[in-house]
Amino acid sequence: MPELLRPLPAEDRLVLLPKNPGMFFIFWQFSRGREDSFQAASFAPEIELRLSYAEDKTAASAHKAPWRAGRAYLPVPERGGNCEAALYAMRNGAWEKLLESNQAAAPAAAVSAGDSAYGSLEFHKKVLS
Amino acid sequence: MSSRGSLMFLLHAHLPYVNHPEDSAFLEENWFFEAVVETYVPIISVLERLAAEGIRPGVAVSISPTLGAMLENEALENKLCLYVSARLELLEKELERAQHDPALLKTVKFYQKLYEDAAVLIHKYSGDLITPLKALQHAGQIEIITTSATHALLPLLTRPEAVRAQLAAAAEDYEDRFNRKPSGFWLPECAYEPRLNSYLKLSGFKYTFTESHAVGGAPNGVYSPYRASNGLGLFARDAASSREVWSSKFGYPGDPAYREFYRDLGYDGDYEYIRPYLGSDGIRRPLGLKYHRITGQGADLASKEYYDPEAALLRVEAHAADFLARRMKQTDDFYASRGTRPLIVSCYDAELFGHWWFEGPAFLEAVIRKIRAERLPLQFVTPTEYLNSCQEPQEIVPAISSWGENGYFDPWVNETNDFIYPAVYAATDKMIETANRFRNQDISSLNVRALNQAARETLLAQSSDWAFLLYIGSHSDYARGRLEAHAAGAIKLLGEVIEKRVDEPALAALEQKNCVFPRLDFRVFASVSKF
Repeated sequence: MPELLRPLPAEDRLVLLPKNPGMFFIFWQFSRGREDSFQAASFAPEIELRLSYAEDKTAASAHKAPWRAGRAYLPVPERGGNCEAALYAMRNGAWEKLLESNQAAAPAAAVSAGDSAYGSLEFHKKVLS
Repeated sequence: MSSRGSLMFLLHAHLPYVNHPEDSAFLEENWFFEAVVETYVPIISVLERLAAEGIRPGVAVSISPTLGAMLENEALENKLCLYVSARLELLEKELERAQHDPALLKTVKFYQKLYEDAAVLIHKYSGDLITPLKALQHAGQIEIITTSATHALLPLLTRPEAVRAQLAAAAEDYEDRFNRKPSGFWLPECAYEPRLNSYLKLSGFKYTFTESHAVGGAPNGVYSPYRASNGLGLFARDAASSREVWSSKFGYPGDPAYREFYRDLGYDGDYEYIRPYLGSDGIRRPLGLKYHRITGQGADLASKEYYDPEAALLRVEAHAADFLARRMKQTDDFYASRGTRPLIVSCYDAELFGHWWFEGPAFLEAVIRKIRAERLPLQFVTPTEYLNSCQEPQEIVPAISSWGENGYFDPWVNETNDFIYPAVYAATDKMIETANRFRNQDISSLNVRALNQAARETLLAQSSDWAFLLYIGSHSDYARGRLEAHAAGAIKLLGEVIEKRVDEPALAALEQKNCVFPRLDFRVFASVSKF
């Protein structure tokens, strides 16, 4: 998977983006201090990404990921709609909330979506073939 | 005969901003030169020809601010003239090479005329192709709309400040270029989400377009305009009329008589013969001289036959007639079932017409002429005309959608390109934070220049083009390099302002290279409560 060559500023950030009716994309960045805490094993290497419904703040799902991964794809919870995420890390056996994301709305699945959508893509793809 | 329905054609013209004054022949600048010769000049010629004959085209054209900036860039205009001159020089040689091959000679002469026509039009407007489009709009022949400043996919910008900056920069750019406020807004990739309603309205836009499945449950489907709860007008794309034109498999562009896109003199010609027309690296690449026709589905490139422009034009006429017959049936069916006259909204990337589908501009002209010549009960309307004359549209809540593959945001968010978003957000967040910090401060002109350029770099980093190029695996290194350079450039400049050590020569070089949005004020990224 390609990576950017230049280092990014060290800041805390958790961003949730819509991808399709079934999937969110989420990425996170840590400030230097937080990163040092993971490096020094103050936090466990596995983080937890918790999705909740934005309207009533009820928990929807939780997913584990290595803190170094920096990004993940999360299934859209059953009710869909507006969701938000929080990133937790474990320290001394207890989960600590480190970051909160923006709200993101999952698209509702439309039967005709794939049929009606078009793209110049087919032309572009032929160039490559 | 009175109209039984209305047709709305929207051509969305966009190219990513590519300007490399440091290089006399930069590969990716060819995207612009090819599009000018094959798409923009032919379309402008069609529109001017129709208008001169008293046939009002009545189409809507979306011109992205980045394309507008390139069309007005003097350095690019000079390079464009060199590009056209070089092709004409090569075509002189080609006439000699083809003199004993009548079929090839006919096609070479055709290309010579294409490039001569381009040279004439470019010369007529002193290289600035915005001028004829502005004149056509001023004369009421067409309606020009805009899109987000750098073609950012707005649902993927979570910060309201970032969306506002994309919309405000686009609106200001349009006003500077066309001497009026824009009414319409083309959502890049037709990517819609409900929060955009208020952002668009607050930015002064009156209407936008959505993908077909965004209005799936609406009472009239795609056949009438709607409005959002805040009054924003919404037009939904008709998928059927698009598919006929778009699909190279099922649509008109795949006809055996039409020009074959993938066979090019740049690959066919003797290397030493074409070497002077390749880039400085000498790598074979398309030269835009494509002498063959599609010939047949599945025919391999080697077995393609020569292109016959006259035979292709006959097929254009047939396809225009077929297109209109299908629209007539659509309108008749709708009228029979609902008793009201439908509106059919056909949206296309402008570059399909001419660049990808070589005969596209001729098709557009034939469709418009046929409605007049055959007195068909259809009429072309522009979006503003339609909204001004129709009944109050019904209110709906469109669904999140795009016109991309699978109908949502997959082409711009996937394993091939998701690594770009941390950089995009790092630049965007830093830009917003710094704009808020300095918005009311009295700062030096050098710092203002640096902040304004940082804002330009941030907007350019947000372009959807980088993600798309990475996804299709075309010019991937260039796309990644551009994204990195813009994001890092913005972050560097913002750091320099904060630390009071702006590198003026480096700033000046960046201002010259990325000279979009000349009036941009960095405060466009500052937080505003109503957003």
